[in-house]
Amino acid sequence: MTKTILVSDKVNKFFGNTHAVNDVSISFNSGEIHGLIGENGSGKSTFSSMLCGIHPISSGKFLLEKKEINADSIVEANRLGISMIVQEMGTLPGLTVAENIFLGDEDQFTNFGIKNTGAMNRKAQSYLVEYGFEHINASRMVDLYSFEDRKLVEIVKATYFKPKIVVVDETTTALSQAGRESLYHHMNRIKAEGGTIIFISHDLSEVLEHTDRVSVLRDGEYIGTVNSDETTEDDLKNLMVGRELGEHYYRTDFGESYSSEVVLSVKDISVPGFVKNVSFDLHKGEILGIGGLSSCGMREVGKAIFGAAYDRTGTVTLTDGTTIDNVLSAIKNSIGYASKDRDNESIVLESSIRDNITLPSLDLLAKNGIQSAKKLNRFAKKNAELMKVRMSGISQYVSQLSGGNKQKVVLARWLGRGSNILVLDSPTRGIDVGVKADIYALMGELKEQGKSIIMISEEMQELLGMSDRIIIMKDGEINGEFLRSPELGEEDLIQKMI
Amino acid sequence: MNREQISLRNENYGKKIRAIFDNPLVMNLMPLIGFLIVLVVFTILTKGKIIQPTNINLILGQVYVLMIAATGVFMIMTVGGIDFSQGSILGFSSIIISWVSHYNIVLAVICGILGGAVMGAVNGFFHVRFRIASFIVTICTMYLFRGLCEYITTTGPVAASVGVVVLNKTWLKMLLTLIVLAIGFFTFTFTRIGFDLKAIGASENAARFSGSRPAFSKFMVFVTAGALTGFASFLNVMRVGSITGTAGTQMETQILIALVLGGMPINGGSKARFTNIIIGVLTYSVLQTSLPMVFTQSATQQLVQGIIFLIVVALTMDRKNIRVIK
Repeated sequence: MTKTILVSDKVNKFFGNTHAVNDVSISFNSGEIHGLIGENGSGKSTFSSMLCGIHPISSGKFLLEKKEINADSIVEANRLGISMIVQEMGTLPGLTVAENIFLGDEDQFTNFGIKNTGAMNRKAQSYLVEYGFEHINASRMVDLYSFEDRKLVEIVKATYFKPKIVVVDETTTALSQAGRESLYHHMNRIKAEGGTIIFISHDLSEVLEHTDRVSVLRDGEYIGTVNSDETTEDDLKNLMVGRELGEHYYRTDFGESYSSEVVLSVKDISVPGFVKNVSFDLHKGEILGIGGLSSCGMREVGKAIFGAAYDRTGTVTLTDGTTIDNVLSAIKNSIGYASKDRDNESIVLESSIRDNITLPSLDLLAKNGIQSAKKLNRFAKKNAELMKVRMSGISQYVSQLSGGNKQKVVLARWLGRGSNILVLDSPTRGIDVGVKADIYALMGELKEQGKSIIMISEEMQELLGMSDRIIIMKDGEINGEFLRSPELGEEDLIQKMI
Repeated sequence: MNREQISLRNENYGKKIRAIFDNPLVMNLMPLIGFLIVLVVFTILTKGKIIQPTNINLILGQVYVLMIAATGVFMIMTVGGIDFSQGSILGFSSIIISWVSHYNIVLAVICGILGGAVMGAVNGFFHVRFRIASFIVTICTMYLFRGLCEYITTTGPVAASVGVVVLNKTWLKMLLTLIVLAIGFFTFTFTRIGFDLKAIGASENAARFSGSRPAFSKFMVFVTAGALTGFASFLNVMRVGSITGTAGTQMETQILIALVLGGMPINGGSKARFTNIIIGVLTYSVLQTSLPMVFTQSATQQLVQGIIFLIVVALTMDRKNIRVIK
């Protein structure tokens, strides 16, 4: 007999103009592992952050055992019986393992205002042993342990007090196989004790294998909940992406479709600590995908091509022998760059759409060094409209636009400049599906026009769907190269990534 | 009306008032409105004395040096920096000009400008090369340059040649100031320099990725500001004739206050307007001249001055882009 323990009732979250979570109502049972999936930006992490008191709820409520809860901090959520193992670093450096485990709950070891460190360490060590992590010493600094061990510490921290709900947010990507097994083991233990796990992961096979039910979010909306043992990965994918997009979302052509003319040649570039001896050629009309795990050095390759990495060695050369060594020479020679860190590196947030679009092209727009406001306005307006930027006017500040429209402004400035080589780092990161489709369509058009694109992406579907050629990087080096083919699948890429 | 209705009504009033202040047109006009209010209030308080020709001349007498020096600091503030050393630069450049004026007046002006540029370059170099916040660097150099001034003038003030002092004509000073403002306005509005400086002030990183050169621009802005203050020193020497070790003391704060009164965003960026300089310096000068007419005690003057600055800034400052108050 299943019992509902947690219900979300029409929960909403707005970030400025972005409706990140839209009327989501899901019910979770006690004693189940409940998967929560969706594409990047679908609102899974935002949803769970609201549950755990990291973000305030815009509207709607969470009911835990029929009582409305409204945690305003993680500590408060813990007290209510909800804990979370987060995607990024969840331990605080500079503290011992024990101090990390009992963070926010030190009072149990405090007598008359004095902390009993010995008792705290002993208690922490006994938990570590109980969990099977004997190799971790509770009294040592958490900094001394590897990323993986720190994740294990987090597992203890999040679950030792027997919470009713544990959110596991993309924790497995950081863990080795042994670490994963141990995590699954503890998830099942909590389940057996009647607790509930909300399991967030991108790895669909993992989700199906370890969960009882799976709920799907898309663009902040709740799509549905399915039983894991009656569902296939393809079913989940369709629910995540939405059937109507399946056909014309990505490119559908296969086979050689770019010229053999090399427009950009990257030779032996290295960036200390990130990239080791990477070489490749980019052809006219080619979309070259570069993929890998997020720390594989692919972002630094993008920056190095754009001349934005100061300590790069090796050469980046155009057809005519021009070398690219700094941002200015890159822009002058028709290279455009869209950073993954859009708000800090791609656009000047607290500035108008006009200024953002014209900034890289000021040298072309000036007549004898003099800028004409009329000409700047016309240039900005033309390119913003060409990209269909949704705006109140070109004097609107970019900070007021949604992620997708910001990215359109970024593309508008480079297309306005007439850039022939575009380096796009995570071009659709945090962008809703509609604008995503626009950007893919634009990439296809640019390719037709003979422009070349380097697309750096963590999303494998995007790499497979858009690239003529895919380079996979691992630990700063090229570890594999694939040509566009209908037979190519995610597994082929993953094998080269890890 | 019950309490809820009243609080709702008050909230609506609050919203309406905020909406008026948020209107971009009103926001741009706020400093001008502030200037007009100050002018009207003090015309009434001084019973019209402040707008008599002699007093207008007195006000304008203070404006020239401040206006030229503020143009340089305006550019520094546009890229998000600040400069506390301008008063000391004015002092040292004034000494240079006084010295050299005994040989050749044109050469004296050139040396004054170069001297200011070199001092600005010291600021820029330490700020950019060693990545020290500009307010720290310029507080240090404020003492450094001031020390040099005092050292040189230990035996007595440095007198300029009579040739400089006879140039102290209102039309000449006004002409020189207008030329500087015109060049400044043109550069800031019609060349890429203004666009670059604003972009750097709004986001240095994004500006770099858009083809601006933040490090170079920031260095050059300090050099230019130094050079402009060097030129302002020429007008200062005309007026004073003989330079003591304390020449230009407090001018850095006067410039900063004037710019803020003129609506200059503290963190720089896209909202910097060239008119901030003109309105700000005028407002400041009106206050400076009329306060002694209304309040005879200098202690009261300072007190009232402080209160007025606080009120004007609190009313006119655009806080929208300031997330962290430093």
